[in-house]
Amino acid sequence: MSKLSPSSPSPSRRCFLSGAGLGFAGLAMSAMLQGDGFGASVAQQLPDGEPHFTPKARSVIWLFMRGGVSHMESFDHKPMLTNYAGKTINETPWSDVQDPERLKKVRVVVVNDANGQQRNELYPLQIGFQKHGQSGIEVSDWFPHIGSCADDIAFVRSMWTTDDNHGAQVQFHSGRHMLDGRFPTIGAWVKYGLGTLNDNLPQFITMGPRFFDTRDGHYLGPANDAVPLKVDPNDPLPYAKPELDLSHDEQKIEFDLINRLNRLNEAKYPDDEAMRARIKSYELAFRMQAAVPNVISFDDETQGTQDLYGFDDAKTKPFGMQLLAARRFVEKGVRFIQIMHGDGAAGAWDAHSNLKTNHTGLAAQVDKPIAGLLIDLKQRGLLNETIVVFATEFGRTPGSQSGNGRDHHPYGFSIWMAGGGLKGGIAHGATDEIGFHADEHPHYVTDVHATIMQLLGLDARRLEVPGHKRLEIDFGQPIEQIIA
Amino acid sequence: MRHLPLASLLLLLSFAISVSAADVDYLREVKPILHERCFACHGALKQEAGLRLDTGTLIRQGGDSGGAIEPGKSSESLLVERVAAESEDERMPPEGKPLTPDEIELLKRWIDGGAISPTDERPDEDPRQHWAFQLPTQGDVPQPRDPPWSHNSVDAFIAAQRKARNLKPVPSVDRQLLLRRVYLDLVGLPPTRSQVQAFLDDTHDDAYERVVDELLESPHYGERWGRHWMDVWRYSDWFGLGAQLRYSQKHIWHWRDWIVESLNEDKGYDRMIVEMLAADEVAPTDRDALRATGFLARNYFLFNRTTWLDETIEHTSQAFLGLTINCAKCHDHKYDPISQVDYYRMRAVFEPHQVRLDAVPGQTDFEKDGLPRVFDAHPEEPTYLHIRGDAANPDKDRVITPGVPAILAAEERNIKPVALPPESHNPALQSFVLEDHLNIAKRAIAVAKQSLVQSREVLASLEPASAAAAASAEVGKPAKPNLFLRDDFKQLAAEQWEIGAGEWKVEGDILIQTQIGASRAYLRTRRDHPGDFQATLKFTTTGGQQWRSVGLAFDVAGDHEKLVYLSAVSPGSKLQVSYKTGANQNYPPNGKLDLPVSLDTPYEMSIRVRDRLVNVSLNGRHLLAYELPVERSVGRIDLVAFDAAAKFHSIEIIELSPSVKLIQPAPDGSAPNKPMTIDQAKLAIAVTERALAAAEARPAALRTAHAADVAKHQLTPPENLPQLIHEAAVAARSLELAQAEQAVASAQQLLAEAAEQTKAKAEQDLKTAQANVEKARAARRQPGESYTSLRASLKALEGPAEKDDSRFAPYPTTSTGRRTAFARWIADAKNPLTARVAVNHIWTRHFGQPLVESVTDFGRRAPKPSQHALLDWLAVDFMAHDWSMKRLHRMMVTSQTYRLSTSVAEADASTRDSDPKNEYYWRRQPIRMESQVVRDSLLQLAGVLDPTLGGPTIDPNKEDNTYRRSLYFTHSRDDQNKFLTMFDDADIGRCYRRDESIVPQQALTLANSKLSLTLARKMAEKLENELGQASDEQFVAEAFRMILATAPTTDESSACVDAMQQTRDILTKARHAQPETRSRADLVHALLNHNDFVTIR
Repeated sequence: MSKLSPSSPSPSRRCFLSGAGLGFAGLAMSAMLQGDGFGASVAQQLPDGEPHFTPKARSVIWLFMRGGVSHMESFDHKPMLTNYAGKTINETPWSDVQDPERLKKVRVVVVNDANGQQRNELYPLQIGFQKHGQSGIEVSDWFPHIGSCADDIAFVRSMWTTDDNHGAQVQFHSGRHMLDGRFPTIGAWVKYGLGTLNDNLPQFITMGPRFFDTRDGHYLGPANDAVPLKVDPNDPLPYAKPELDLSHDEQKIEFDLINRLNRLNEAKYPDDEAMRARIKSYELAFRMQAAVPNVISFDDETQGTQDLYGFDDAKTKPFGMQLLAARRFVEKGVRFIQIMHGDGAAGAWDAHSNLKTNHTGLAAQVDKPIAGLLIDLKQRGLLNETIVVFATEFGRTPGSQSGNGRDHHPYGFSIWMAGGGLKGGIAHGATDEIGFHADEHPHYVTDVHATIMQLLGLDARRLEVPGHKRLEIDFGQPIEQIIA
Repeated sequence: MRHLPLASLLLLLSFAISVSAADVDYLREVKPILHERCFACHGALKQEAGLRLDTGTLIRQGGDSGGAIEPGKSSESLLVERVAAESEDERMPPEGKPLTPDEIELLKRWIDGGAISPTDERPDEDPRQHWAFQLPTQGDVPQPRDPPWSHNSVDAFIAAQRKARNLKPVPSVDRQLLLRRVYLDLVGLPPTRSQVQAFLDDTHDDAYERVVDELLESPHYGERWGRHWMDVWRYSDWFGLGAQLRYSQKHIWHWRDWIVESLNEDKGYDRMIVEMLAADEVAPTDRDALRATGFLARNYFLFNRTTWLDETIEHTSQAFLGLTINCAKCHDHKYDPISQVDYYRMRAVFEPHQVRLDAVPGQTDFEKDGLPRVFDAHPEEPTYLHIRGDAANPDKDRVITPGVPAILAAEERNIKPVALPPESHNPALQSFVLEDHLNIAKRAIAVAKQSLVQSREVLASLEPASAAAAASAEVGKPAKPNLFLRDDFKQLAAEQWEIGAGEWKVEGDILIQTQIGASRAYLRTRRDHPGDFQATLKFTTTGGQQWRSVGLAFDVAGDHEKLVYLSAVSPGSKLQVSYKTGANQNYPPNGKLDLPVSLDTPYEMSIRVRDRLVNVSLNGRHLLAYELPVERSVGRIDLVAFDAAAKFHSIEIIELSPSVKLIQPAPDGSAPNKPMTIDQAKLAIAVTERALAAAEARPAALRTAHAADVAKHQLTPPENLPQLIHEAAVAARSLELAQAEQAVASAQQLLAEAAEQTKAKAEQDLKTAQANVEKARAARRQPGESYTSLRASLKALEGPAEKDDSRFAPYPTTSTGRRTAFARWIADAKNPLTARVAVNHIWTRHFGQPLVESVTDFGRRAPKPSQHALLDWLAVDFMAHDWSMKRLHRMMVTSQTYRLSTSVAEADASTRDSDPKNEYYWRRQPIRMESQVVRDSLLQLAGVLDPTLGGPTIDPNKEDNTYRRSLYFTHSRDDQNKFLTMFDDADIGRCYRRDESIVPQQALTLANSKLSLTLARKMAEKLENELGQASDEQFVAEAFRMILATAPTTDESSACVDAMQQTRDILTKARHAQPETRSRADLVHALLNHNDFVTIR
């Protein structure tokens, strides 16, 4: 039960006022909330910034490929597609994959949409595969660098989801289908549950092109939204520096004055917790202004490190810079860094046509930097406390679309995770021979969330918020087989 | 331990004694499990199998199958048997996961320990007896003796409760802070310095009351409270993909304006509800009232009708009734007496309705404006219960009829279908629709006429002889052009030309220029040329590296010039008119004509310029008409070759006679005229003549069709109806014939231009067009009765698959009346919930804390509020006074309770200890400004607020450039103003109360945004101007009063003065131009970041 006095009669949204949300480590929630009428709820387990049990990792770097990466041409080798190329699914031994009962799990958002349809004529693999490392896990030749790290990676080849349109991006992050409304995302839950390790930095950061749903906290409140950052020391976060001429010295005088006046105001308004929280928020804001540009400046990184992330190539540099920034944020104790790749309304990986050109180009942008990130984290001893996730909203159809592309495919696809508390060199779960259904150990998207929560030492059920009952599926099940 | 539902915790707390059986505590450990998993079917709400489990006695007593337990023997207890059953058919509870082994073990241990429970345990109350389901009654107002608390009923109730608990209120807030409080509360803007002064100087007893009246009469009141209700009623602008509408409606701002206006005129809340849910039935031709149905229209969702209706049901019941009816979508409500059938009865109320845009006067383009509104499109659409809430699994055995939850149905309501007036189901009958269409038709005629004039001019320009003759005949005197310059280049005449850059020489009556490369060669006239002139230049371009441009510049003086040239660049050869603005050379696309230009080919380029109009023809063919976007000026003419070797044969420049007609640019201003031959020009004239005839036939068709339609829809159609229909048909056939003839002319034109391989098809098309004319002629001889009616409404697609057939079908002539009956039930004085819920919303926003904490759930999970008597008194008073919100506002804000200080510095110690949460209103709750109020206050203090009321939503790209109030910004899933989102802007999905977060991003926003910095500087400047010569201390004092509505303490003042001095020092050191001014601006900026700026104290 909560530490708070159970005398409050009612749940209150005001709990989000919140030190923990802000990351004022050491400031007890109860102290924050008493005395000003911002009653806290008895029924809620207010997070106090502490894990619920011993964590195996402390930070997450969440890489998300927008648009839908072909699972059969990345991490789930399906040679039968080539063997049966041009045949309809009905003409293969796996015609049962289209049993209407098995197709039912998808909730169609856009009726009669040209996308998200069954594509019957098998399309051959557009790229070869190699075995990598001691584990001998097969990875496609579009991702040779990631392949070289296979022994550190836990691949999950049996993901499924229920949205056949790109709303599945939101679904992957929140666990809920587009039609169910808007719910907090995994990053927001982690931020909400664990609070801060560094008082100078935002704890939940997002980089790269986001989907339309640019809020993360939803009912957890804006304090749990991701802070969007750009790898640009001159303009790293919204309102990061004065938008009109105002010198640093002037600003320093202003902040000191604000602080002093607010403290003097405490004599007039004793026990005003909102005011105390505001004082803290100004202190953090001032430090954040200075700290954030500092973290995303790479002057003190060696040439070797920069090359590891692909700074030496215009193709890899933009994504590489975000990943190096992510490593630097992890070093400084940021909890959750979300990096989206692939701009455009639907996401760049959405290869309805010209899949080969599309994936060749995009994989070349991300492959080397991602491997560089894993290597760099490992050599700095950070990989065992950081979870790196590579995900996408769904896979692509075994059948062809437009002659040379693949459609959306929610029934079976792949993701991978690496780092703190995870096994390396393992490929867990499987789709059938043509990559259609997640057959062996199927995992709904929230199983990824559950795995992360568990590794971070959080019990999602103890974070539930009154008035926002979560479904069983929202919690997911940790993927035990990949946990070390 | 799992989370306990609230009610069970309250139950727990209400029992003083803790009874334990063996080591199991029934109240603490057993009852919560039963409450969570069993009470819904075996408790006060329902007694399945005659069994109740909400007290120990009832458990032992059992139901139809006998005792639920055998005390002492868990193994023989039915309860244990059922919860632990293996088979799903047997196992209880039937839904959700089975009880956990730990929970079952607890039950067993309790039973084995004798199943002990308190003897005074009482069962759950009968759900019908729940406080919020009883009609509110107005008890006697307590009569406190203490004078400040005896004037106002709100105070009387509050004071009586406080007295009973021996709680002492804090003192009143000081007057200036009170003024700021009530301004921000009622109009969402802080008072100006003069408003403050006027109030402080007003010594009348009712000075405050008069300010309140004034504010309630201000149109800003509607904007401020409109935004509150926009939160509750989920205002959202549309979003979609490109122009495709997917959610809410375009032009939904009409509903926002209705909200603001309704509040300003103090329309009764009951009437507002009826209009929002059913204006199309109760006021079907009242466009002002129809705007109200935006409340329903905003739920529009292209892709899924069930989602759309679910949201409608959920938020209609939460907003007006404080009921979580949505819980009953999949199964009967777990806490409230609402069945799943009740849910679908409510769905049936909304099942027939759809959304459409109706035309508004003055606009026929629905992309530009239109009135979003609802109507019953499918009166016959059946409603089925969805088994377990699964839309794919409807129970088709039974059609659900519309209705209200049985528990709240005070009396049976008759649903009466509404016969709609013709102008409602056929909005095109409205007279303004005809006017608007006629205006468009008139404009089309004007355009067609202009096209005809123009195409005739083109022909005239191609027939120079005849044109000149015509022109002379017209003015009645011979054309005698006033010659400015003529040169046949027999020599290079230095008295005529200033020789500029380039390699110029004359050889055999030809002027030759040979400099090539990216630079200009020119000859310049020695005199200024006439303003309106015609220049004819004969030349041959012979070479050049790339650009090969030859032409004339005019108005050449200093940096000015306009240039016309022919460029043989390849690819991309062209004729171009160009002009300079400053140092920039502009190449306007509509001053350009792509055409083949060859080397070593003689060209005769003729340029006519009158004022800003430029005509260019080449070899006698008119090519380009262009209107310069810049002023003309006096200057010379240059003969120009840019990277061009060229031969010049002759040039003639004459003053342009006023009688020469120039050709205007194409009416749409974009496409330059195509070069034409005389034959082509004649065909083009034929097309434009026919187009004009067709345009001229349209008004009659519109008028007669409208007249016939109006007559047709009269209750008793007039005797001349057949005549009117005949006239409409004749006009329609005439229009069709004119159009067919226009098609023939077009086909002839296409045929003339057709390339060899498309000629056959063009011939065929022409034959078809000619045949159509014959048919149209025949049809006009026998016009029949058909004609094309006007349209003035566009139905929103019912789903992505809807086709035009159903989309453009006529609308039903009756409405089901379901929504009217439903709305009247909600807005009935016999509905126990509606007034209470509204009073609670209003109270929450005035006082910063609600009377009923769960503002959207007044069901059984909401305990009876501590201020129940007050809530009921206000609810009854509200209904008794025509549901007037202004009356409620006035009562609340003039109460002494409202005027208390937010400070606890002087609070009574025992009061603070015994009621730390201020449940009994012994002090006031500080409120964080809503995002809109933060921005609007900045604008107001800086004196830049644009007070324009209402109108279309501001384009998201233009938000930075407007100082209008924030409620006019675009507010949708895809667009929310960045500044506003930092301060907990309203969630479009649900926002019954705003969050009040305090995050560092807010600090950064106020500290760094251009908005706050700009406005701080404006504020400082304004204050400086108002104060004249003022010391730092005086400036600080006034800035404090203006921004924080309080005087600074000595410490505060000296802190500010110090900071100003420091700022001046560092700025002086940095050689800043105005250290004094800037130090004041910085001070103001710092005060805007003060906690008490964003706080309503």
